[in-house]
Amino acid sequence: MLMIRAIVRPEKTDAILAALMDAGFPAVTKYSVAGRGKQRGIKIGDITYDEIPKTMLMSVVGDDDKDFVIQTIMDTARTEDKGAFGDGKIFVSQVEEVYTISSGLKEVSAPDEEVAA
Amino acid sequence: MKEVIAVVRINMMNQTKKALDEAGIDAYFAREAQGRGKGFVNPMVLEGAEQGYEEAASILGEKGKLYPKRIITVVVEDSRVDDVVQALIRTNQTGMPGDGKIFVLPIMDAVRVRTGECGEAAIA
Repeated sequence: MLMIRAIVRPEKTDAILAALMDAGFPAVTKYSVAGRGKQRGIKIGDITYDEIPKTMLMSVVGDDDKDFVIQTIMDTARTEDKGAFGDGKIFVSQVEEVYTISSGLKEVSAPDEEVAA
Repeated sequence: MKEVIAVVRINMMNQTKKALDEAGIDAYFAREAQGRGKGFVNPMVLEGAEQGYEEAASILGEKGKLYPKRIITVVVEDSRVDDVVQALIRTNQTGMPGDGKIFVLPIMDAVRVRTGECGEAAIA
């Protein structure tokens, strides 16, 4: 399974969460972060803003769903058609084990296939 | 080295901290987050809505509502992953939907900033 972490504009999170829900991926965790990117923040006049508020969305999905979920986030998070600096980044990392606390079960490959730990 | 990321209920934090302490985990880090799961409804909420409690009905009405959660991140050596996971499950399990999830991710390297130690020495 893969963990998808997307850093997106805070104002886009509601749209992304709705899109993921419609796409059949309800399970998401979000938290607020602050950061800068390649453009070294935003410079307005003499002031540089290099701690721009962003939202981190975290979701763990099956290997086969990776491209679909990334595409869904990307399409929704992008500013209009062309996109703009600051739209964010998506990171994918390997998850070796997943446990559901309520049942105490370990999940394998697909989130719906559950086996006893 | 493995990174154990657990998303748990906020009211379980004190118990979880105690349990991690007992499991011999001194170093971990936690943050606030909001999240949603597969959307299974808590049977107690359903029962409450049937009995006409407005609060319960309002929870049922909102699809995809985000609930406040806590994220706990622990980095441990491979041999202790199972202990940590079992301790987390033991303390956080109520059997209701919404207890949370635990993810185990590989970690390439760790560095202790104070001394510059790398690898296992940095997390020992």
